[in-house]
Amino acid sequence: MNKRPGKTKQQASAQELSRQLTEAYLQDARTAHEQGKYVAYATAVSPVELFVAHDVIPVYPENHAAACLTKRMGTELSLAMEKKGYTSHLCAYARSDLGYRITGRSATGGIPDPAFLLACNAQCFTLTKWFEVLSRKYRAPLFVFDTPQWIRDPGARKEIVKYCVRQLRELVAALEELTGKRYDYDRLAEVMACSRQASLLYRRFLDMAAYKPSPISIFDALIHMAIIVYLRGTPQCVDYYQTLCDEVQAKADQGIGAVKNERFRLYWENLPIWFKFRDHFNLLKAYGANILTSLYVHAWCYEFDTTKDPLETLAENYCAVFSNRTLEERAAMTLDLFQRYSLNGSLMFVNRSCKAVSFAVYALKEIITEKTGTPALIFESDMGDPRFYSETQIRTRIEAFLETLQSREAEKG
Amino acid sequence: MTPLMPQGYLCRGFTRNYSEKPGMKPEALKRLLEIANDPYGCLADLRKKKRIIGSTLADCPEELIHAAGLHPFLILGTNTPIRHSSALLPDNSCSLARSNLELVIGHQGAFFDGFVLAQVCDTTQHLCDIWRRKFPDHDFENFLAPRQVARPSARAWYAQECRRLRSALEGYTGREITDEDLCESFRLYNENRSLLRRLYAIKQGAPALMTNREFFDCVKAAFFMDKEEHNRLVREVVDWAERDKDGFIDQAGNFKVIMAGIVVEPPAIYDLIDEVQGNIVADNLCTASRYIYHDVEKGPDPAEALADRHLRKPHFSPINADPERIYTDLLELYRAAGAEAIFYCHIKYCESQDYDLPDIKARMREQGIPFLELETEYQTTRLSQMRTRLQAFCESVIGKGGSM
Repeated sequence: MNKRPGKTKQQASAQELSRQLTEAYLQDARTAHEQGKYVAYATAVSPVELFVAHDVIPVYPENHAAACLTKRMGTELSLAMEKKGYTSHLCAYARSDLGYRITGRSATGGIPDPAFLLACNAQCFTLTKWFEVLSRKYRAPLFVFDTPQWIRDPGARKEIVKYCVRQLRELVAALEELTGKRYDYDRLAEVMACSRQASLLYRRFLDMAAYKPSPISIFDALIHMAIIVYLRGTPQCVDYYQTLCDEVQAKADQGIGAVKNERFRLYWENLPIWFKFRDHFNLLKAYGANILTSLYVHAWCYEFDTTKDPLETLAENYCAVFSNRTLEERAAMTLDLFQRYSLNGSLMFVNRSCKAVSFAVYALKEIITEKTGTPALIFESDMGDPRFYSETQIRTRIEAFLETLQSREAEKG
Repeated sequence: MTPLMPQGYLCRGFTRNYSEKPGMKPEALKRLLEIANDPYGCLADLRKKKRIIGSTLADCPEELIHAAGLHPFLILGTNTPIRHSSALLPDNSCSLARSNLELVIGHQGAFFDGFVLAQVCDTTQHLCDIWRRKFPDHDFENFLAPRQVARPSARAWYAQECRRLRSALEGYTGREITDEDLCESFRLYNENRSLLRRLYAIKQGAPALMTNREFFDCVKAAFFMDKEEHNRLVREVVDWAERDKDGFIDQAGNFKVIMAGIVVEPPAIYDLIDEVQGNIVADNLCTASRYIYHDVEKGPDPAEALADRHLRKPHFSPINADPERIYTDLLELYRAAGAEAIFYCHIKYCESQDYDLPDIKARMREQGIPFLELETEYQTTRLSQMRTRLQAFCESVIGKGGSM
């Protein structure tokens, strides 16, 4: 992707810029073969900076799956893969993706086939197994970047980083073998600088939820996180988040909230229910409630130290993502958001198709409610398959929770 | 604590007499089977001798725990209904994980002094956090096993984790683990593996000598017992088997089968295979071949010696290697053993197996290999449906076994 569409239209809004960048990116990926470039599949939290610096185009089956799930294609695609013998309790992204491989049905026109796959297990182990299926299907090599749990032991962390740096060197060698091209570390330094800058801007955007009223909701974060996932490491990504921050800052300066008469500022645990997030936003809005944030959207707030060996700072950042931390640290990160964003309640979603994030939810609820004294609602469903979403039950429970918040507010006077 | 052997599915061996007389099964075998099926009842006095460190499948190096003067004890779930762990893990999480948690928080927490839990998948990783929170007074260590064995970095990392664990165990016991301690543990464990391999080889060639259930229970007892005592008992069984095997080599009515998966639970599944006269001649189970094959070889660095053994073990579904090994290894086992069918034990809600199975089945179909998936949960105690499926499969697909 060589052109910078953001620079050709100085006045473009962030939303318009996002559309242009997405189109250009997909076009680039779909014509990779004609350009003599390689397409590699990558998991959303993985050191794709190494791809970008080597002119390998990263494509994210998770993003494509999320687009399909948002368009309510989850059941249709899942049924197609279930007919092939897979079970309905796997990750909805994987089900949607494997269903797409069988039916060719897509919300976005599909994604190109991979020449190489990279799975980083800091997010989850499911991705490795899903990518193994794709690796067998396309007979394309799979590289698993193994990130041991980021346990709270400084000595162990040092060794984890060494192991990961060693693996990243193995990844560089694998990319050189794939492309027949020598790796350019100067180019990597440039890519790291862009990635660092974009990550900082993305964090600034998310942190605007601290304003009262908040100019953004988690639904804005979910929409705008797409670019940091698939274009980090590029100058376009930096331009995009600069534009977005400017826009949101202007709203904050004018006191414009995402929800009128904001009364309740909530935390969301887990990934979103993709096919329901607009409905949830509207339901909450009617009560003056806004979900401001989640650890999930913060997963791309990296803090790359460009004074270090790039492989070392990549290893440190990708190991330290929330889903690879201990329960205690995950709770501490959540409590930090509660404090910084003045949150006063939580919606805690036990996502049957994301076990990696959901296993901790019961314990997290105990810790968060105990430490903050704020109420929390736990409910079970699936992030992408409407068969496992009980409309009436979940709506009633959310409404009851919001009424509890109202009563507490009334009691406080 | 309910014994792990469900009533009504006693293995055929239990109906025979155990004695030292020629032709009769030795008392040592009986003792091993008792321990395998009721470890907490049979080994209640273990804690008087040593502190007990519980671990979970599959890659925790027991030799390190042993060399620290502690007793490593593998936790293999419970068949009792899930009550305590359901509030901590979603009901669609791996049956083995839920069952292990149930066992420690509901029944046997006091049996253990500490835990070393290996992380090999999402479930085991997050289980560690929940477990540690439930046992703040117990010593607790993670063992961060590499989740890839495809590249040289895995060896270095496994060795490094062994060094970290060694140091943590030294901190816990307050005494140094010397290289000599480790060499002695390696010797003892290698002897154990060697005895079990010998017994497996005899059983494969003389299927009428001992049942599948008896052999795999002998291996299972090794997860719980004092290693020297286990060696002593298994040696007696091997001596008996060597002596009597020639009278039991009749293969009539038996057929060779490969047992694939991670664990076979409940163990009464072996009884069902015995009933249809399937002779398990090879497997890739964590509770069998992955445990008994390959020794720790002598080398200048004990941690690297452990890593080398780890990398030589048979393929294990959660650990990434060549993605095709999920079926190429099975095909190799099947052909090398001259087997007639493959039985795959699928633990309900094991994500790793869930992703592998459709491709394994497709490849087996393509190759014309009789393949039967046996889906189980730790809480399964009634196996009549599985028995019917197994009998029907054997009768119709391979024309063997059948109703007994």
